[in-house]
Amino acid sequence: MSHDQCPSTKGSMTPDTNRREPDRVNAGRGAKYWRSAEEYADSGEFRDFLEREFPAHASELSGPSRRSFMKVMGASFALAGAATIPGCRRPDHKILSFSRQVPEDVIPGKPLYYATSFPLPGGGAEGVVVETHEGRPTKIEGNPLHPINRGKSSVWSQASVLGLYDPDRLKQPAYQNPARGRLDASWDDFAAWSKEHFATYGANGGEGLVVLADKRSSPTRDAVRDRFLKKFPKARWFVYDAGESEGATRGVEIAFGRPGRELFSLSKAKVVVSLDRDFVEREPAALVNAREFAATRAVMGSTDEMSRLYMVESGFSHAGSLADHRLRVAPSRIGAYAIAIARAVCERIGRDAAALASAVAAASFAPGSDIDEKFIGALADDLVAAGRGNSVLMAGADQPAEVHAIVHGLNAALGNIGATVSYCQMSDDDATSSAAAIAAVAEMLGAGRVTTLLMLNVNPAYDAPASLDFAARMSKATTITLAVDANETESVSTWSLNGTHYLESWGDTVAADGTLSPVQPMIAPIYAPAHSDIELMAMLAGESVTDGHDIVKGVWKTLVGDSDKVWRRALHDGVSPKPVFAAGAWTPNMGAIAEAARRLSIGPAPSKDSLDVAFATGRMHDGRFANYAWLQELPATGTMVVWDNPALVSPATARALDLEPVGFSESDPSRMYTKPKYPHARVATLTIGGRAMQVPVWILPGMADNTVVVHQGYGRRVCGHVGGSEADPVGFNDAAIRPTGAARVASGGKLASAGGTYLIASTQNHWSMESRTAIVRAVDLAAWRKFGDVPPVLEKDHIYANTSKELSFAEKLGELGHTPPNIGIYDNPYNESKVDPKPGARYAKGPQWGMTIDLSSCTGCGTCTIACQSENNIPVVGKKETAKGREMTWIRVDRYFIGEDFNSPDAMYHQPVACVHCENAPCETVCPVNATSHGVEGTNDMTYNRCIGTRYCANNCPYKVRRFNFFDYGVTKFNGSYYGKDLMPGGGPKNVNLIPPRLREKLDEISRMKMNPDVTVRSRGVMEKCSYCIQRVNAARVETKLQGLTGIPDGFFQVACQQACPSNAITFGDVLDESSKVAKARANQRSYMLLGYLNTRPRTSHMVRVSNPNPVLRAPVEDPFHHGGHGEHHGDDSHGTDSHGSDPHGSDPHGSGGHGGSHDAGHGSGHSFFDSRKRRADEGYALSLRVLGHGAGVHA
Amino acid sequence: MGTLFPKWMNMVPTALAMGGGVATLAVVVGTWYWATPDYFEVGYMPKQPGSGFNHQIHAGKLGIDCRYCHTKVEQSSEANIPNVATCIGCHAEERLAPAFDPKEKVSFIREAYANDASVEWRRVHKLPDYVRNFPHAAHIKAGVSCYSCHGQITAMPEVFQAEGLGMGWCLDCHRGVEKSPEKFLVPPDKVTNLFWVEQHLSTVKKGDSEAQRLFDQLRDNPPQHCGACHY
Repeated sequence: MSHDQCPSTKGSMTPDTNRREPDRVNAGRGAKYWRSAEEYADSGEFRDFLEREFPAHASELSGPSRRSFMKVMGASFALAGAATIPGCRRPDHKILSFSRQVPEDVIPGKPLYYATSFPLPGGGAEGVVVETHEGRPTKIEGNPLHPINRGKSSVWSQASVLGLYDPDRLKQPAYQNPARGRLDASWDDFAAWSKEHFATYGANGGEGLVVLADKRSSPTRDAVRDRFLKKFPKARWFVYDAGESEGATRGVEIAFGRPGRELFSLSKAKVVVSLDRDFVEREPAALVNAREFAATRAVMGSTDEMSRLYMVESGFSHAGSLADHRLRVAPSRIGAYAIAIARAVCERIGRDAAALASAVAAASFAPGSDIDEKFIGALADDLVAAGRGNSVLMAGADQPAEVHAIVHGLNAALGNIGATVSYCQMSDDDATSSAAAIAAVAEMLGAGRVTTLLMLNVNPAYDAPASLDFAARMSKATTITLAVDANETESVSTWSLNGTHYLESWGDTVAADGTLSPVQPMIAPIYAPAHSDIELMAMLAGESVTDGHDIVKGVWKTLVGDSDKVWRRALHDGVSPKPVFAAGAWTPNMGAIAEAARRLSIGPAPSKDSLDVAFATGRMHDGRFANYAWLQELPATGTMVVWDNPALVSPATARALDLEPVGFSESDPSRMYTKPKYPHARVATLTIGGRAMQVPVWILPGMADNTVVVHQGYGRRVCGHVGGSEADPVGFNDAAIRPTGAARVASGGKLASAGGTYLIASTQNHWSMESRTAIVRAVDLAAWRKFGDVPPVLEKDHIYANTSKELSFAEKLGELGHTPPNIGIYDNPYNESKVDPKPGARYAKGPQWGMTIDLSSCTGCGTCTIACQSENNIPVVGKKETAKGREMTWIRVDRYFIGEDFNSPDAMYHQPVACVHCENAPCETVCPVNATSHGVEGTNDMTYNRCIGTRYCANNCPYKVRRFNFFDYGVTKFNGSYYGKDLMPGGGPKNVNLIPPRLREKLDEISRMKMNPDVTVRSRGVMEKCSYCIQRVNAARVETKLQGLTGIPDGFFQVACQQACPSNAITFGDVLDESSKVAKARANQRSYMLLGYLNTRPRTSHMVRVSNPNPVLRAPVEDPFHHGGHGEHHGDDSHGTDSHGSDPHGSDPHGSGGHGGSHDAGHGSGHSFFDSRKRRADEGYALSLRVLGHGAGVHA
Repeated sequence: MGTLFPKWMNMVPTALAMGGGVATLAVVVGTWYWATPDYFEVGYMPKQPGSGFNHQIHAGKLGIDCRYCHTKVEQSSEANIPNVATCIGCHAEERLAPAFDPKEKVSFIREAYANDASVEWRRVHKLPDYVRNFPHAAHIKAGVSCYSCHGQITAMPEVFQAEGLGMGWCLDCHRGVEKSPEKFLVPPDKVTNLFWVEQHLSTVKKGDSEAQRLFDQLRDNPPQHCGACHY
């Protein structure tokens, strides 16, 4: 067999097939891939930056000089002597036993799991299972019995445990005394005050009493509300969520006559069309959508069906990154696509769609060059060809109701309603308009018609549009605010009441699909007494039952029946057997849709003087999650920016407005990183409708031009250590310019430089596997159909991904297709061979752990990162530390842009990378103290107490997955700034990193409670990395031994990232067990070893991403093996000589950007994954290819 | 003219070399002996609250099984400290005849029970924080007696640390059990019978077939890789 297994050089591929039309450099299957502007330009300076395993300044103390360092340290040296003496004694360690009351189920040392549900902001819920250690909740998992979660979870529910242990929580009520200012008070004080205060409302029926509550789907709260309003009939009730996009609700109301939620069955859809809807993120059924859509993308056999996703969007969303065809269109112009698609579909299905045809005939839109007729035609053809009930169309959350209505009409015309789309009723509160509510309350306050305003878990003083002037108007009434965290509203309220977190209160939730779930406390209120919203309302209404448990149980009697058995069962399962609402196929009213379409007028495309401004909700939602440090440090979609919300524009728009990042220039964007040390954005003034705010501007390739996206939830002024304070806010508050209406997109925005620059911390260039190629691999479905068959099995080889010596399809796409079989020089001691384990060797005995990550299903949501952070006690490091490249997350999700056009990349790929647990681990060989070594089950273990912090291992790791504790992030009070104790001389140094460890404030007791007791909390100077959740592996081993099982069965336990992943992209298990899921995934033809050609023999494999392009819009690359690199003898006639000459889409403004000038057209620019310019950096490897190219000699 | 260096100075290099050697040896031997857990951990006997708990009487004389108080030790990694209610199970005032009631000795227990308060027992055996969850249950299941790590508890009026609990000491067993299982393994039903175990371990012969059978029952060898305990 030849060493070169690349089919393009093998005899089986005749020269005829090689001699094909010139390469299509498009949609990533042949184009370069890059993570940032700097990488795109690939300058020398930037390569220097990348070649350091930590950025140049990561290991330096910035700020004060060495001299001041010595000065500060001197003080601590002086203290050192006295402080160390007691250290010689063995500390007296106490064990406190239970006393009289012994909880029956608690087994010390073993966690207990309880089901509850997490109310999603703005309605909907997730069912979760909470791990508690001796009554202390530490980790949130998805509830396998809950139809939304099915065991999976979102970043929000994962991070919600931080809210419970937030050191900035309200600890007791406070009263704003008119004369003496804010005073600490107690609930008894409040009870006494409120009894008197509410007596007047009892007499006048509640005249002047207004309640503003958060939006929540909870039958119990609805019942308590009804009782409250019965007691105070003239009181007004409003619900409000500043992050709400009500277009979808109103759209359903127009089309079907009643408000509701759309539910998709994406697993049944062949064609999915999303008009600006990020359906896998931040909507109540996002987990379902992600799971079902991923199921249609993860093709395992070469004949598997695969769905196709068309995306028209303004930003660059997670769903957009999954799309097969993606157009970037300004948000105000998306409606034009809805109309045009509807017309094109009606044309094609004719008579059946007469009703819709007449409806959209009434609509109109201003023509523009951004309307891609070819795209619309091909899309309509595809929709019709898919057959009735086989497609899904959806409109984005921020789109107006009319666009949604048209889309409902389209779904009806295509027969999707009842097949792939159904509708579910929503509660009255859910269906109301938040924008109208807040405007009404502000108006009533202004007019003096409110005497008492009761606010339940809302923060309008921060998040209401500034034009309502809510904070000022609040002072006209007596205000009572119930809140869990410190916030802007409670801090200026007459009464601030400390509420309970959902993990410490009773309640219930209704999920998007109508599933009813209980909320049960995991722990008694930490700052007792504290009360939930239902308890407070019951108390104010003077009810006899004011205990949360009794209130909920009372309401459930009417919902599920008066049976204790059912109630206990529901608490156990976390799901009630009886849903509140059931989804169904509703019938649209075409007349109403026509009416709505007539109202719709789509103006011309925005220009640089009249920008579209979209107000998006990011991970902070409306700001309520701002104090959740994990979410702050989770890189944002696309930009990978952390701890900030710069206004996002496309690179072209930034150039047109002269607001490109500091140092950025098209010719040498790397100056951004190398010149100002850290990237800086330019600060601009964003103006809409006469209101202006200052905001830094950052670029996001692939966004629609002349569009600005601003994320909500930042710039908190009263929040906490993480979320910001008046002196040190995190990001910018968009409420300053947000319009008061329901519309989430404003036209006519202006962006002008305000002078000044602003530090941006983005992780996009950190941990780069620079100079390596074939990292992220993708093919078109056509190629998978052609090459995805199982090759002849020559020899068993479990460890090495494929079941035969013949390389898998995915491996052939990379370097291994060109190299001789990977054989080391030395025997691997555990394999007792240079290659695969010998029979009888340690690695030939199970279990041998391995993981597979499917790039086809990965949506890039980052849930794995948060789940890992929660499970493994990974600290956050703050914005400044992140800018230096010191972030600690063990699993990162790399984001790559694909394509030649910097402003309009063809696609975005996500690739989660954690330690891959190499069998031949480069890190182990360089550790001078054996702190990292291999376990018998194939894991690469880290022994923290041995580590002396040389960081050699991180240097030698080709995957860049090792993280170093530069400071005591884990055990000291740290959220980007250390907190020094009072005894710091002179108030402490300017650079907080210079506070000596001894003088740093230790973590609050409450913050420490979130730590997982099964994992060490690492301290300064220690290297750490993914351990394959070895605490779970070990626990499973012990458990199976105790139960007398012979081995650990597949699926007996899950690792944290796998357990959380909403799209089931991560598989973990014993690779030797042939029936295990992971063994099957590794044997699959799509499986490849990341950087496998280095002979590291990684245990984590990745699976090639498959795209399913429409041949009309982009000819799929059927043969991904065509590329240069086999030596000169065929490089010039058959491969890649004319990569760009006759790109059929050269004139296509949106589609594949095959028209950038390639820097190296000769070699490899036609190959799927070889970025020729990168290969330059790996000279040794390039040399080996040249030698082999001649040596192989099979080529005819 | 006087010599700059007197003659005896010739001895200095030799003396230094020899003295240095002795000093090095002293440091090595000293470290070896004194700076290991076997020296500074073994014998650790903190003062327990109240009158303490006399294992010699309860577990020895009265023959109460370890698991009567250390519940769930067969299920969990922790060998649970008994709750106050367990003590009161026997030591409730009305339970014992007045003649047998050790009144003042158990007053601290009764007081704690009356106040629903904990008793602050002092921990004797403690592994460092970077050793995670020593699994008691797995060891008991495998047939490692309490005696092997905690010594003859039934003869201790006040519990002290009998073994060093250092990593080398752990590995002595994890490595040695394959060659001589009789030194470490006892039938699981005898694990808590410390008198029997002590006698058995001192009399058992090398190559004992029962010990070999117990070893063969283990699903796999005791782990020796770092990740088994450090994570």
